[in-house]
Amino acid sequence: MNEIPEQIVAKLKQEINEVDDVKLKMIATEEGDVTVIYFSSLIEKMTLQTMVTIPLANNLKQIHQMAQYVDPKDVQGVVKKLNAGQTLLFFHETNALLSVDTYSAPTRAITDTETESTVIGPQDAFTESLETNISLVRRRIQSSMLKNENRIVGSEANIKISIMYMDNIVSHENLDDLRNRIDQVEYPLFTDISVLKQLIEDNPLSPFPQYYMTVRPDSICRYLLDGRIVVFMDNSQLAIVCPTSFFEMFVSIEDYYNRWTTASLLRMLRFFGFFLTIIITPMYISALTFHPEILPYELLLNLQESRSKVPFPPLIEVLFIELIIEVLREAGSRMPAKVGQTIGIVGGIVIGTAAVEAGLLSNILIVLVATSALLSFLPPIFLMSNTSRFIRYIFILSAGLFGLFGQMLAFAWLIHHLLSLKSLGTHYMTPAIPRKPTDLLDSVIRFPTKYLRNKSGISKAQKK
Amino acid sequence: MNTTNGKVLNRYHVIFLAQSIMIGTGILSLPQKLSSMGYTQTFMPLLFGVIASLTLFAMVWLCSKFPNDDLFRMNEILLGKWLGKFINILIIIQFIVFSAGIISNYMHLIQSTALQEQTITLPVLCFLLLLIYIVSGGIKSIARFCMMTFFITIGVIYFTRWAIEKGDPSHFLPLFNFTPNEFYEALKQGYFSILGYELILFYFPYIIDQKKAFRHSLIGIWISIFLCFITTAISVMYYSEWQLKNVEFSVLNLFKAGEFTFIERIDIIGITLWVLLILSSVTAYVWCAKRGVDTLLKKKKQNYQLYIIAFIIFIIIKMPFSREFQEKLFMASNYMGYLLVIWPVFLILIYIIRKKQVQV
Repeated sequence: MNEIPEQIVAKLKQEINEVDDVKLKMIATEEGDVTVIYFSSLIEKMTLQTMVTIPLANNLKQIHQMAQYVDPKDVQGVVKKLNAGQTLLFFHETNALLSVDTYSAPTRAITDTETESTVIGPQDAFTESLETNISLVRRRIQSSMLKNENRIVGSEANIKISIMYMDNIVSHENLDDLRNRIDQVEYPLFTDISVLKQLIEDNPLSPFPQYYMTVRPDSICRYLLDGRIVVFMDNSQLAIVCPTSFFEMFVSIEDYYNRWTTASLLRMLRFFGFFLTIIITPMYISALTFHPEILPYELLLNLQESRSKVPFPPLIEVLFIELIIEVLREAGSRMPAKVGQTIGIVGGIVIGTAAVEAGLLSNILIVLVATSALLSFLPPIFLMSNTSRFIRYIFILSAGLFGLFGQMLAFAWLIHHLLSLKSLGTHYMTPAIPRKPTDLLDSVIRFPTKYLRNKSGISKAQKK
Repeated sequence: MNTTNGKVLNRYHVIFLAQSIMIGTGILSLPQKLSSMGYTQTFMPLLFGVIASLTLFAMVWLCSKFPNDDLFRMNEILLGKWLGKFINILIIIQFIVFSAGIISNYMHLIQSTALQEQTITLPVLCFLLLLIYIVSGGIKSIARFCMMTFFITIGVIYFTRWAIEKGDPSHFLPLFNFTPNEFYEALKQGYFSILGYELILFYFPYIIDQKKAFRHSLIGIWISIFLCFITTAISVMYYSEWQLKNVEFSVLNLFKAGEFTFIERIDIIGITLWVLLILSSVTAYVWCAKRGVDTLLKKKKQNYQLYIIAFIIFIIIKMPFSREFQEKLFMASNYMGYLLVIWPVFLILIYIIRKKQVQV
């Protein structure tokens, strides 16, 4: 052994000091001693055996074919390779340092979609492995035009992300914009792609999500073929699609699998459901507090009767029950599944019956709140349903302040806010802007599939 | 946000800017304003449309001579720096008072129908905050807002269905049953309702296709004129002459004509929805006023002028003067509005006289 390798090993040891899962193993081969260095946590024993140990003992040629030469002086580079799950082989006789890709970290199998399940259509969902996710997409789009660019983000964790697009369809202007944004991100704590999404959005202060997020490969493929850009992150199940529009937040991929009649009906429900959910309970407040005269006499009588025992003004009453529903939802979603069910039942009974009997709430309000809560869960994108709930509080408070007039002011705010929002530099309000007449075929009413041939206006696709 | 100085308004923006600025509170009391002519008022809006088209032509002609300047600059070029500046200050004051007039009218309407138990201070403040939010987005943002409000509020027309059913078409006849004096009175009172298209003098430099700006604005104007025509026609059918004369905001009562089983007073929904239309016309005026202040101070891309304008509007609305004084003030600003419509004709004369001096 000469001096140089010893220094290297010493340096290496210094770098990976106190990392217990680094293994250094000496193996005697035909070409002399070989030190094998690897992270036991990133490599399965079987892989190591088939890729390294057995070839070292029997067939060194195979090793030389598979391996890459590494510059031993570049200690940082060597450590990076180790971190990426490669095995380093140091040949003592020849002073050569080779690396073999043996990365085989434990991954989850591809399972059903849990957050965006559909009745018809493929059931597979993305997993937390970047390679698996890309392979799921490549399996569906078998074209050399499907490009993916890898990048590293996160100064500490070195997370791999992948930007995917169809080279012949995508707008390169959009692509450059996105690349710039990603390159400018400096943030250490990437635990999911949602974090990155918030950093590269056009207006991070807005309550509206400006990029589409999904775990469904089929959905992603549809967007890729429309000329959108998709970003994956290693260790993240979600993929983001940009640019997207407000309207697309209410589009489920199942719409394209259903017949056009059913799809249109469901889409209308989802889209107008958003506006209904932010209007129903504020209307109750406005009508009871400021404009009882807009209700017909019988209805008003009914309402007053059900409210006769309630000691609070309608605003407090509505806020009270809306918050309880939020609490129930939040508690239910964090609890273990078995306990969560109990919470649902108890909450239902307590609110549904006991609160009314106790004279805390009117039962008409419960019907309204339950309806609006259900409506808020209609958008297939969970972020959007969160947004609709948040917006609802703005409407509730403004209704509490000025009744219908307040609601209309809030509505004007909402319109202007939506109009000024952008997603990757493109307007968020398609098909209103940018206007492309064919977009209307796939808007609130989904036309029969044979008419849906054109790329949408928002993607600024090269192919029309 | 679009605050660039480039050309940003496409044809749809031009159409709906012209259209939406015109429809403010004016249309709500149009039948009353025209009531001196009694039942023969129906066709007045069409006449207004013709006048508007003619004056629009003068405006666009003048603007096309100075494609990159708005009226504030034109005044300075054609009338000289000091006189121009003086006129500009008058125009700015006119816009601020006019906007305050629109808001004040609307707020009083809101107070008398929807918010009977409240003072209007807080609602006005909220309204102004929203106004600042929209204006700070620039003219394109306003244009988009105008477009959306048109499509959102156009459905209100449906609520006049019952009024048509209950109305009597025979009211239209006989035609031409009025004296010149009545005609003059109606013209004087009613033309306010369609003011707003003159703002093209200020946003013209931002239009992309300036050659077709006249046509597009004209489309916008005639959409509004058509809406005014429908309004007067239905009012004439539905009301008696006495009602036309004495019911303020008679259009609201048209909504009341029918009822759904689940909503009794459609007019309240209609009048609160009207805030979108008010916003779309006031934002444009305030934007123009801000542009004027910008050219006076030669400062750009700062928003504090906007806050000051909003504050002045608030003061005007809430000033401790009698309602009569306020009405007089707003009336004066309305007549100033007429002057502004005629102003381009005057400027054209000066332009022709001083053609050689001002050509750059």
